[in-house]
Amino acid sequence: MEKTIIIQRYNPEQDQAPSAKRYQVPFDHSTSVLDALLYIQQQLDPTLAFRWSCRMAICGSCGVMVNKIPKLGCKTFLRDYPAELTISALDHFPIEKDLISDMAVFLDHLQAVKPYLINDSQNTEPHRQTPAQLKKYQKFSSCINCGLCYAACPQFGLNPEFLGPAAIVTAQRYNLDSRDQGKAQRMPQLNGKNGVWACTFVGFCADVCPKQLDPAAAVNQGKVASATDMLISIFKP
Amino acid sequence: MPDSAGARRPYLQPLSRSWWLKHSFFLRYMLREATVLPLLFFCGCLLAGLYSLSQGESQYQSWLAFMAQPWVIALNALVLLASLYHAKTFFELFPRVMPLLPAPLMIAGQWLGTLLVALFLLWLFGAIG
Repeated sequence: MEKTIIIQRYNPEQDQAPSAKRYQVPFDHSTSVLDALLYIQQQLDPTLAFRWSCRMAICGSCGVMVNKIPKLGCKTFLRDYPAELTISALDHFPIEKDLISDMAVFLDHLQAVKPYLINDSQNTEPHRQTPAQLKKYQKFSSCINCGLCYAACPQFGLNPEFLGPAAIVTAQRYNLDSRDQGKAQRMPQLNGKNGVWACTFVGFCADVCPKQLDPAAAVNQGKVASATDMLISIFKP
Repeated sequence: MPDSAGARRPYLQPLSRSWWLKHSFFLRYMLREATVLPLLFFCGCLLAGLYSLSQGESQYQSWLAFMAQPWVIALNALVLLASLYHAKTFFELFPRVMPLLPAPLMIAGQWLGTLLVALFLLWLFGAIG
């Protein structure tokens, strides 16, 4: 059994824009999109460039558009598609070559929200946390930084300065952590015009997230936090 | 032969004006946002009604006649449908923004609230009971 894979190829040294190239790939029940890309690279065309690492949906490297929907290549299977499928680099990011995107903007936004525990206390005791305190942020802690939500977000496509789903999820993850004291440092980013308020709750990020952590909910819960933060700052002397 | 820095020439993907036609998810989103357009017509009707009331009885009667025209009724039926669709999307999004109770319970609660308010208004204006 074979399927036709159409890949948007782009060679920065020769091409002005990406163009489609067709490949015939054998498949069975367990062939993932990543397996198909590896087959093409190893058997048909060694010049095909793409990123991958873990093959088990935890490294977040193999994000591509499959039939215009952002997907992890390793978690998407040829069996679920008709005889032809189209693969291209993630939307909204500059394309370096073929399926490789330049993720620098995303990483800058992630860094801007200080994605780590900030705690100035000199206490050397372990930070104890109750199950209830853990539950508050745990669902937002499984982000693998794959960037699929950025490829799904038209607001990020229109304005690359928008912090975007994953960065805001991560900010929420640390803000809600009982061990963290860095909320005051993160809120200016979330309150700004490229923070939570730039989101119009399209909600597609939640659909494409391979970890089902609902970035759209996190962003819009961030709006509640941002509004609360603003009200408090008005009434606080 | 370009140097290593010069060889880097990332392709910037343009976002076309028709991005929202790309798949059904974006179409449904635009439909949700567009429900405000028919609502504008209804608001206009309501404001015209209030104004005509201040202008005396004959003005108010002619406004009532305007509202009874089939095309106005059809347009306002569209407004009702659009508002119900918007309410459906809003009620489904709300529990994700403020997860106070299990989502199905919150959605059912909001529809129940809408029904009670609608029944109260119908009773207030003498349409029932």
